[in-house]
Amino acid sequence: MITKTIETEPLITLVGPPNSGKTTLFNFLSGKNYKTVNYPGATVEYSISKIQKKYNLEGRILDSPGIVSLIPNSPDERISINSLYSHPTFGVPDLIIVTIDASQLSRHLLLAKQLIESKFNVIVALTMTDILNRRGKDISISKLREELNCDVVKIDGRTGIGVEDLIKEIEKNLNAVKEKEKVNIIRLKDSLPIEKLIDFYKEIEKIEHNVIADLGEDQNFASIKNANKKLNVLNNKIQNHNNTLDNTTVKIDRILLHKVWGLVLFFLIMSLTFTSIFWLAQPLMELVDDLFGYLSSEALILIGNNWMGNFLANGIIGGTGAVLVFLPQIIILFLILGLLEDTGYLARGAMLIDKPLSKIGLNGRSFVPMLSGFACAIPAIMATRTIPNKRERLLTIFIIPLLSCSARLPVYALLLAFLFPMDKSWLAGLALAGIYLFSIISSAVVAGIANKFRGTIIKEEDNSSFILELPTYRIPKLQVVATNTYHSSMSYIKRAGTVILFLSIIIWFLTYFPDSNPKVNTYNLTQEKAEQLISSERISNSYAADLGKFIQPIMKPIGMDWRVGVSLIPTFAAREVFVSSLALIFKVTGDKGTLQTSILREMRQATIAGTGKKLFTTATIIGLIIYFIFALQCISTLAISRKETGSWRLPMLQLFLFTIGAYFFTFIVVNGLRLIGIN
Amino acid sequence: MRTAAELKYGEKGIINGIDGSHPSSRRILEFGFTPGQEIQLINMSLFNDPLAFSVRGTIVAIRKDEAVCIKIL
Repeated sequence: MITKTIETEPLITLVGPPNSGKTTLFNFLSGKNYKTVNYPGATVEYSISKIQKKYNLEGRILDSPGIVSLIPNSPDERISINSLYSHPTFGVPDLIIVTIDASQLSRHLLLAKQLIESKFNVIVALTMTDILNRRGKDISISKLREELNCDVVKIDGRTGIGVEDLIKEIEKNLNAVKEKEKVNIIRLKDSLPIEKLIDFYKEIEKIEHNVIADLGEDQNFASIKNANKKLNVLNNKIQNHNNTLDNTTVKIDRILLHKVWGLVLFFLIMSLTFTSIFWLAQPLMELVDDLFGYLSSEALILIGNNWMGNFLANGIIGGTGAVLVFLPQIIILFLILGLLEDTGYLARGAMLIDKPLSKIGLNGRSFVPMLSGFACAIPAIMATRTIPNKRERLLTIFIIPLLSCSARLPVYALLLAFLFPMDKSWLAGLALAGIYLFSIISSAVVAGIANKFRGTIIKEEDNSSFILELPTYRIPKLQVVATNTYHSSMSYIKRAGTVILFLSIIIWFLTYFPDSNPKVNTYNLTQEKAEQLISSERISNSYAADLGKFIQPIMKPIGMDWRVGVSLIPTFAAREVFVSSLALIFKVTGDKGTLQTSILREMRQATIAGTGKKLFTTATIIGLIIYFIFALQCISTLAISRKETGSWRLPMLQLFLFTIGAYFFTFIVVNGLRLIGIN
Repeated sequence: MRTAAELKYGEKGIINGIDGSHPSSRRILEFGFTPGQEIQLINMSLFNDPLAFSVRGTIVAIRKDEAVCIKIL
């Protein structure tokens, strides 16, 4: 490989171990104005940006995923490291900035040493020197520069002090690169013997010994140490001088990783996270819902109640609303998880839950994605990227759709309101908690079963491993978390949003066309009610209704008819649409506030045509709940599952196994209940 | 010889060697578990697995069946 000459914009790649302050530095250099891109054909993401204008330096800056070593340990790491050596679009980087946590010097220097060994042009950005100082130690920049034979700059992640110096060094180095002869980059072999790693560490220990000293010690501490060495008075304390743990962290861990309290606090923190996703997002979601409802009705008035008006109101505006309604939840989810991650707690959570999860073929790192699954499967599946083991990652993706996402909440609410009388709503609340518990247990069982049948559902085999750094506790940086949340949310809108919008339009088409002009008796009805009645008639004659009637034979064994079938079709765009389609099908007319009561009234009266038997009974309602727990009826989930797994195999298995399974369980539950006398 | 997985809660030990035949050995080395380093078992998770060791001034959680490749003097 040959280092390219700088003709256009130089490429500067940021490399660093996790928790080394790499992303903070990237935010300083890019001014938070960056793009997140996938490596071609891969699910690994990197961020790219131009150097902020105020620094007056031309250059592209690339933030690569955090790595510990240049020897890959997972498929994703292999992609990141391959691209580091030679990026598919930008080639070999002209300059590498490696972030090193000064309080973790001996561990983080490994990566720097490997990069220098590979003959890259390297600048070391030394972070967290304040933590080192708090421990009563100091590091000599000039000595480190000498030892590594590359430029070293001190960066303060909180204030940004040092970034200007770094820019100067970058400029100097880039100019030097232009002059220098092309250097061949030597790639470290994947089969690097472990003895070589031990040698690396021996060198690093020497460097560490020479550059770090107790604060307040004489400037020429190295010479004193040499003198000590000669006099043979080197004691253990000096030898391990950088190996002291952060005292506060040890103290906090004594509680947070305690056998009893640690577990209690873990469940407390997680339930708090979980409930706040719902409660904090609720008013915002209603706001989005109302806003798009308003826009939609305004569009109808503006264009008129024809196909164009309907397309704009219910297809485009309604579809956009279906995308944006989940945005509050996703933002809150990313924000809370980001803050927890930044404090250092999430790594502890993963450690606490690793053993139980490993029993069913998952990993401690599966935990956060699974938790996110209760909000929405899309960010949850995206979050599985942190699982290094391919097999465990695929298994996690596989079961995520079984965790009851928030789109199922309105459906459960309606169905539970049917089952329990209004004055006993606490019973419905209890039942809802039961549904969530059931969804957790069933996903664990499915994971366990899929894990048992090795090679059938998940074919990949991989060495299962859990080695995770438990970082020092610290106050989270809200600004960094907020920036990441913004980018993750935008990525959700772009990825999932386009798919959801597209499907919403298709489903709108199915429920609107053929554009029959139904004659309804509008006598004595308000304009609004008359229009609702027309919509109801239209959907009863639509292609969706034809489809519903076509699947009538499938609905019959589970005690339902085509009307439920029609309501289930649009749920593939968004599950919560079930409620409004039921309302349309059952010609419910009413004001927004009383919609639920009106639907419930109609549902209680509905009978199966030709038999006079009640359509919605305790048995069929419980059956429907069971169906919604298991069925994968969300095309966006399939799309993201395809994207993240790289093939249609897993999403198709999810679609067929979960939906057929849901049907099967509904059949058993409905008929089982009827058998024991519960209609 | 004892392994890191057999350390008692709070016990310290000096690493004697890493079993190179274990598939996780390289990663464990990369996290700084090298011969001569002093480690301490400072925390244990539910069911005493994974184990949290202090090494080189940081804490690393490792599963028990991976910690067996760290041999202790």
